[in-house]
Amino acid sequence: MPTVTIDDRTVEVAAGTNLIDAGLLVGVQIPHYCYHPRLTVVGQCRMCLVEIWDNGRKMPKPQAACSSAVTKEGWVVRTDTPEVHEAQRGMMEFFLINHPLDCPICDQAGECALQDYAFKHGVAFSRFRFEDKRTYPGRERIPLGSNVLLNMNRCIQCTRCVRFTHEVAKTGELGFFNRGARVEIGTFPGKPLENHLSTCVVDICPVGALTSTRFRFAERVFYLDKKPSLCTGCEVGCNITVEHRRGKIKRYKPRFNPEVNDYWMCDYGRTTFERYAQMPRLQVPRNGGVTSGTIGWKEALDQAARKLRSRSAEGAVAFLGSPFLTVEEAWLFAKLADAAGSPHRSVPVDRGPTWTIPNLKGGITGIEAAPNRRGAELAGLTPGTPAGESASADVLDHDALLAGDGAAQCSVLVVCDSDFGRAAWSPETVERLRRARFLVVFGWADSPLAKVADLAFPVPTHTEKEGTFVNVEHRLQRFAAAYPPPGQDRPLVDVLVDLLSRFDASWAQLPSPKTAAVFDKLAAEIPAFAGITWETIPATGTSLHMPEAKARLDTISAERVPERD
Amino acid sequence: MSETFEPVLTQNVGRPDALSLQGYRKTGGYEGLAKALKMEPAAVVEEVKKSGLRGRGGAGFPAGMKWSFIGKAKPRYLVCNADESEPGTFKDRLLMEVDPHQLLEGCAICCWAVEANTCYIYIRGEYTKAAAILERAIREANEAGVLGDNAMGSGFKLDMYVHRGAGAYICGEETGMLESLEGKRGQPRVKPPFPAVVGAFDKPTVVNNVETLCNVPHILTRGADWFKSIGTDERNTGPKLYAISGHVERPGTYEFPIGVPFRELLDKAGGMYRHGTLKAFIPGGASAPILPASQIDLKMDFDSVAKAGSMLGSAAVIVMDDTTCLVRSVARLAKFFNHESCGQCTPCREGTNWMELLLHRLEDGQGSEGDGKLLLSICGHIGGQSLCPLGDAAIGPVKSLVEGFWPEVEQHIRDKRCPFPHRRYFGNGAH
Repeated sequence: MPTVTIDDRTVEVAAGTNLIDAGLLVGVQIPHYCYHPRLTVVGQCRMCLVEIWDNGRKMPKPQAACSSAVTKEGWVVRTDTPEVHEAQRGMMEFFLINHPLDCPICDQAGECALQDYAFKHGVAFSRFRFEDKRTYPGRERIPLGSNVLLNMNRCIQCTRCVRFTHEVAKTGELGFFNRGARVEIGTFPGKPLENHLSTCVVDICPVGALTSTRFRFAERVFYLDKKPSLCTGCEVGCNITVEHRRGKIKRYKPRFNPEVNDYWMCDYGRTTFERYAQMPRLQVPRNGGVTSGTIGWKEALDQAARKLRSRSAEGAVAFLGSPFLTVEEAWLFAKLADAAGSPHRSVPVDRGPTWTIPNLKGGITGIEAAPNRRGAELAGLTPGTPAGESASADVLDHDALLAGDGAAQCSVLVVCDSDFGRAAWSPETVERLRRARFLVVFGWADSPLAKVADLAFPVPTHTEKEGTFVNVEHRLQRFAAAYPPPGQDRPLVDVLVDLLSRFDASWAQLPSPKTAAVFDKLAAEIPAFAGITWETIPATGTSLHMPEAKARLDTISAERVPERD
Repeated sequence: MSETFEPVLTQNVGRPDALSLQGYRKTGGYEGLAKALKMEPAAVVEEVKKSGLRGRGGAGFPAGMKWSFIGKAKPRYLVCNADESEPGTFKDRLLMEVDPHQLLEGCAICCWAVEANTCYIYIRGEYTKAAAILERAIREANEAGVLGDNAMGSGFKLDMYVHRGAGAYICGEETGMLESLEGKRGQPRVKPPFPAVVGAFDKPTVVNNVETLCNVPHILTRGADWFKSIGTDERNTGPKLYAISGHVERPGTYEFPIGVPFRELLDKAGGMYRHGTLKAFIPGGASAPILPASQIDLKMDFDSVAKAGSMLGSAAVIVMDDTTCLVRSVARLAKFFNHESCGQCTPCREGTNWMELLLHRLEDGQGSEGDGKLLLSICGHIGGQSLCPLGDAAIGPVKSLVEGFWPEVEQHIRDKRCPFPHRRYFGNGAH
């Protein structure tokens, strides 16, 4: 592998690595607009010009770092010579002479590469004083598709979006039209930008030319707080950044994870947070339904523990799980079911939108609207008990509860998540589940189900809690809470530990933070998690020890054809 | 020296029968190809290298050297650059319209030398007549077995196609031409890799100008030493076509040994239009810096012109007399480059546009003293930093105007108007 010296820092790189990537390895940032690691190198923004000495011989002109690949020994690169600075200043001037400079009303302001580089590499005055700026009349707000709006005046013609639709989405809706100073981005007649990844062009647009119709004017980006999280739209488990202001989520953005979603995320996933704002929240524990009063946490937990203990004589105790529970929560529910001696536990799963998220290995397709079905089932929310007590036909699984008359046989029915799926919101299901003699509901949503529950516990949404999910490829990924939950909501893990300590006092000794302690405990118990601890889960997630799952995965990926329904 | 010079490339001008295969063969046509096919390909390359033939398209890169750089992969392609679209250049048109078989023979020899079985002639879209003539010539040569599956009975397979462009100057840039040939938007690619390694359809490709290839049959028939005997020195050899236009009595294409003094060229073209006074001339097409009248004895070869601060380019000479407003001329050239910039790279897209606006402002008498410095600064930011040579081409005339003819610009600024009679105006050309 050849070595290259960039600004006096030497690094060994794989042959063919371009200088922008090589620079990042040693902490040298080379400014660029058109280069993107997943798109073809076109070298057209000319912002990444550097000087190269090839074995002591200086190349006659400044070279574009993006299109200069290190293939041999002896390259010395400088990004800080007067020539390079002069070239960068010149390029910034060119970008800005025809740019509207409408930052005060531009959505990109605050995360705009043009702003950043103007500060870093530009000059503070303009020599473009008497001429008219080039404008594209009538092209200031053109909907390219239902999710993306184009303002051609702001465009710097880097063609990232065009290359994205051709090379990543492979739909090719966008084109580069006209030429010279009049070039513009556009769609072909009758073919709008409608693919499941279309909003990614907004993310990769370095300026405010492409804006998202959903996020447009929702918030100034410099007021947004950002926390790493995971998308709950389907089982792919795209890494995202939750961007919110004071607990109001404004958007999800994809977060780079080469193993899962690379730089991308689907349009459907970006809309999934909207339900958190649209649905009513449950904010205080409640007993006896919505018409009755509220209740304190302690009394509510006492009452739940009492009900769970007084089981067998009167009927079954059943747990209706949810694919939206974290691994830790699911495991604690399973422990609770063990304590109640109940084999009736299962995870209902809805069919999702079925989109493929491209990555370097070809992509991951999500079929189920279930970010953590695999984790919940591994944690023990499958019919039967660890003692081996019956996985027989008369187990009250989710089919029996949601489609059949299973709830009528229950003395206590615990619904682990008031928003476990589409069925949770249908009056028939609510009516069916209500047939249980005592209905306990945990959840963030004050859904019709929570309204009729005998006991309703307010718990956070996934953006308000931390935990782990296991995706379709059995990859364990950790996420953090973006902001604290509202009202009297308590983290579900804390609630369940409290509840369990009423059965077994040793739970009260669990150290804080609880989620980490619970995870370490379950990892020690479940073989698939062996050797993994909360602290050592890498940022990109880690594969669980599941040889048979891995084999299945290989066959799945071989026949993976995106289905559209 | 040129009194004794027998035209080589234009020997068939005035002989309409040269359009046919029969007529072309009368003057020794296709003998070069026959000779080449009996030689080893490498020997042909060596012969062309020895002749010192330099590319006639503008850059002046040694042709034999270019052929020897070709990549190992197969198939390989030859693309003949007939997209002659620089203002003032019309030499290739003559060669194609008058003597098509000469070009075909040159292409065939080159294909043999680089072991390519396919040749595309990428011709400027407006050259409908030349395209038709070439197509007819190719058909005739195929039918006669000179080209085709078994070229001249040697077993060498050679297919030739004429591909017409759609009217973009940038498609004359070799990689832009390859993109266009592949059916994509005509815009240059990043180099490296060079076309010799990754060219048309990602295969090794040689790209040569029409005039370059037309020289090849003569090198083969008469030998490299004969070729070298023409011209000024070792580095500037062979016959050269000069396309002269502007304020001369008889504009047209004239053949001379390379390195003919400009004065002789001017005489041949009938001298200045209506006995006017020479003010300036562009020696090598729209992208070459303008030279003042004092350079009248300049030898028109690659190195001498470069030494004078300009470039021979395609040897399209544009002559301007003292009624010419240079600011207006350069503004018109800037308009051309702005219009023809493909728009992908920043310095060329934005810089040519800015230069055009600025020059129009100067021509309109709205300029200020600082504009000269500003123009030079813009040129500095375009030069050497654009993706393809179009950016460098665009700054040539502008730089020479500011550096060489500043008093005239100053007069525009001082008088707040153009001092020259107002001829047909071509709009402010914002877009």
